[in-house]
Amino acid sequence: MAVNAEAVYPVTWKDGRVASWLVTVDHKRIGILYIGTSLFFFVLGGILAVLMRAQLATPGEKLLTKGSYDEVLTMHGTTMIFLVVVPILAGFGNYLVPLMIGARDVAFPRLNALSYWLYLLGGIVLWSSWFATGGTANAGWWSYPTLSESQFSPGHGQDYWILSIHILSLASLLGAINFIVTIVNMRARGMTWMRMPLFVWSIFTYAILLLVALPALSAAVTMLLLDRHAGTHFFIPSEGGSIVLYQHMFWFFGHPEVYIMVLPVFGMISEIIPVFSRKPIFGYKAVVFATIGIAFLSMLVWAHHMFTTGLGTGLDSFFMISSLVIAVPTGIKIFNWVATTWRGNLIFDTPMLFALGFIVLFTMGGLSGIFLAAFPVDWQLNDSYYVVAHFHYVLFGGSAFGFFAGLFYWWPKMFGRLLDERLGKWFFWLLFAGFNLTFLPQHMLGLLGMPRRVYTYHHGGLWEAYNLISTIGSGVMTIAVGVFLVNVYRTHVLRMGVRAGNDPWLADTLEWYTTSPPPPHNFDSVPYVTSARPLRDLRLRLSEDT
Amino acid sequence: MFFALVAVAALVVVAGAAAANGGFTPVQPHSPNAKHINTAYYVILGFTSAIFVLVEGALITFVIKYRSRGRARTDDGAQVHGHTRLELIWTVVPVLILCVIAVVVFLELPKIADAPAAADPLNVTVEGHQFYWQFDYPNGARTINTLYVPVGRVVDLKVVSRDVIHSWWIPALGGKIQAIPGITNHTWFKADDPGTYTGQCAELCGLYHASMTASVVATTDHAYQVAVTTTARANLGKAEFTGTCATCHGMTGQGGYGPNLSHNPLLTQKAALLSIVQSGRGKMPAVGDTWTKTQLQALAAYVKTHVYKGAASGG
Repeated sequence: MAVNAEAVYPVTWKDGRVASWLVTVDHKRIGILYIGTSLFFFVLGGILAVLMRAQLATPGEKLLTKGSYDEVLTMHGTTMIFLVVVPILAGFGNYLVPLMIGARDVAFPRLNALSYWLYLLGGIVLWSSWFATGGTANAGWWSYPTLSESQFSPGHGQDYWILSIHILSLASLLGAINFIVTIVNMRARGMTWMRMPLFVWSIFTYAILLLVALPALSAAVTMLLLDRHAGTHFFIPSEGGSIVLYQHMFWFFGHPEVYIMVLPVFGMISEIIPVFSRKPIFGYKAVVFATIGIAFLSMLVWAHHMFTTGLGTGLDSFFMISSLVIAVPTGIKIFNWVATTWRGNLIFDTPMLFALGFIVLFTMGGLSGIFLAAFPVDWQLNDSYYVVAHFHYVLFGGSAFGFFAGLFYWWPKMFGRLLDERLGKWFFWLLFAGFNLTFLPQHMLGLLGMPRRVYTYHHGGLWEAYNLISTIGSGVMTIAVGVFLVNVYRTHVLRMGVRAGNDPWLADTLEWYTTSPPPPHNFDSVPYVTSARPLRDLRLRLSEDT
Repeated sequence: MFFALVAVAALVVVAGAAAANGGFTPVQPHSPNAKHINTAYYVILGFTSAIFVLVEGALITFVIKYRSRGRARTDDGAQVHGHTRLELIWTVVPVLILCVIAVVVFLELPKIADAPAAADPLNVTVEGHQFYWQFDYPNGARTINTLYVPVGRVVDLKVVSRDVIHSWWIPALGGKIQAIPGITNHTWFKADDPGTYTGQCAELCGLYHASMTASVVATTDHAYQVAVTTTARANLGKAEFTGTCATCHGMTGQGGYGPNLSHNPLLTQKAALLSIVQSGRGKMPAVGDTWTKTQLQALAAYVKTHVYKGAASGG
C-alpha cells in the first residue's frame, strides 16, 4: 500500500523547504536569494566600516592598524560595491521586471539561476581570502599597481580578489543579457517603450552599461593577474609597462559602475514618489531620456578620477566639461521628482520617507560632485575625506536609501506581509540622522587635509572632533540597522506583520495586479496595457462600472 | 518663514566657518595657486549652495503644504503629467550655471597650473618612497621629509617615485600631484609667509601610508642657504634614521613593526648594513635604493654612534 501512496503523491527531494530554493529557476525566488545574500554581505561590510570608524575615533588608536586596516578598507569597498549594491539591484530587477512587464519569468531562467550562484561563489571566494597567505587584498578597491603587483603585495589575497572579480563579472554579464532579452521581447500586449515602468527602463540601461563597462575591468584584472603570475609587465614601469594604463582601464569601468549602482535606484524612486503622492510622475519622457543621457555620458567621464595623475590641461578640461554636463540630466531627474510631490496627496509611509530622504541626500552628493569635476579644485579635494563623504552621499544616501525605500515598498509583494510602519519610521529617522552625523563632518575633514585610507592621525582639535562625531554617527547607523532586523524578525518569525492584499499602496504598475506573494506563474491573465499606469486605469474602469 | 530660517542657518554656518575656518573651506592658503583654487571653490560653493537651498526648500515646502492631512489614499493629487516650458527652464538654467563655473575655472586655471615666470625658480626633485619623502636641491644637498625653501621664491617641484604611487600634497601650498613610477610630474608653489606647512601622502602606498608626512619650512633666503648647506649635511644621518628607519624600528631603534635594532651588531658592520638598506630583505623595503654614497655613509655613521647601544648583555 505504501508503494501506491508514493506513486500517487510523488514527493521528490526537489520540493523540500531548503532544496526547492537550491534548484529554483523562478525569477522571484532568485530575486529574493539575491536580495537576502546582498543584505547579509551588507551587514558584513557594515561591520568592517564600524571597525574602521572605531579605529579613527581618536588620534593614535591601536584597534586596527597598518596592514589590517588596509585589508579592512579594501574588503569594505569591494564588498559594498560588488557584493551589496550591484547584486541587490539585480535582485530587485529579477523579482520585479517580469512582474512589471506582465511576463511569466525572465527569458532564460536557468541562466538566471547560474548568475545568482556565480555571484554567491564570487562572494565566498572574496571572503575566504581572510584565510589566504598574507591576508586579503590590501591595495584598496581600485588595486592600483604597482602596489597590487607581486613585488609589493606578495600574498595570495590579491589573487583571490582578482578571481572573485572575474566570477562576479561573469555573473553580472549573464544577468545583464537576461534582462535585455526579457525587456525587449516579453512585455505585455500594449506595453510600448513609452508605457514601460520607469524601473524597467532603469534596469534596461543598467544592463546595457554592465555589458559595456565590465569587459574593461575584466581585461585590467586579467593583465594584473598575468603580471603577478605569468611574468608579463603590463603595469610595471621599470620593465616598460604603464601604471596610468591601468588607471584608465579601471575607471573606464569604474565610472559607469557608479551609474550602474544608482540608475536602478532612480527607477525605484520614480515608481515610489508618484504612488505616495497620488500623482503620475512629472515628465515621464524627460525622466526616460535623462536616464539614457546619463548612461551615455557616464562612459565619457572616467578620467575625472585621475585629475592628479598629471594628464595635462587638454584631457583634464575635456573630462571636467563632460562631468559637468552629466549634472544636467541628473538635475532634471531631481527636479522632476520634486515636482511630482507638487499638489499631491502626500502619504508618508516608510517607502516615501526613504524616497524623500534619498532626494535630500543624493542632491547633496550630486552638488559636492561639481567641486570634484572642476579639476583645479579636485587637486585639493582628490583622495581626501571630502571624496569619501561625496561618494557615501551618492552610494549610501543615494543607492542604499533607495533600496531601503524599495524594500519597504515591495516587501508586502514579496512576502505577503507589510513590515511594521512604526519600526520602519524609527529605522528611517535613525539612519538619516546617523548617516549625516557620520558623513557630513567628513567633508570638513577632507578640506582640513585628512587623506583617505589612513589608519590613524595625530592632530587634535577639529580633526579629532569631526572624527569622533563621525564615529558616533556610525554607531547610530548600526542601531538603525538593528531596528530594521528586529522589524523583519517581528514581521516574519513572530508573524506579527499585517497581511497585505494584492495592492496595499494602491499602486500603478502590473506587479500589484497579482496576489502577494504571486503564484509561480505570476499571472492568470494580464490586462491590455493602454498607459504607463495600467493598474490605475483598471481601478478607474472598475469604479466607473459600479 | 522657512526661507528666513534657512537664511539664518546659512549665515550662522558661513560666519562660523569664516571665524574659525572650521573646515568649510580649504585651509588658509599660503601660495598663489592655493589662493586661486580657493577662489574657484568659493564660486562653486555660491552656486551649489543656492541650488541646494532651492531644491531642498521646494521639497520641504511641498512636503508641508501637500501632506495628506487625513485625506484617504484614494484621493488623487492633481493629475499633472508635466510642463514643457518649466522642464526646459530647469534644463537650460543649470547649463548656464555650469558654463559660468567652467568659465571661472578656466580663468583661474593659468594662475593655478602655471608657475609665474621667475628669474631664478628653485628646482627641487621630490621622490616618494615607501614611506618617506626625499628632496634633492640644486646644490646636491638632500633632505628627508622636510623641505626647506626661501619665502617668496617660486619653487618648481619635479615629482617622481621608484616603488609605488604616492601623492604629494601640502594643502596650504596648493593641490596634489601623484608621484608615479615611470612618469615625471610637475607642480609648484611660492610660500608667502615664513612658517612650517605640513601635509602627507594622499595615495594609499602600503603599510605606513599614514606615517608618510611631509613639512615645508619656509624661511629667509639666508636661513635656507644655511639649511641646505651646513645643517642638511650635518643632520643627514639623523634625518635618514628618523624619517626612514624609525617608521618601523622606532625613534630610538627600540623596535616596533620591525625588530629592535639597538643591540643588533649589524649596525656596526657597514657593508652588511648598507646592503640591506639598498636592497631590502624579507619584509623590509629597499629604502635606500636611490641613496648616494654620502647619504649611506651618513646613515652608517649615525646608527653606529646614536642607535647602537652595545651588544645585548646576558641571555
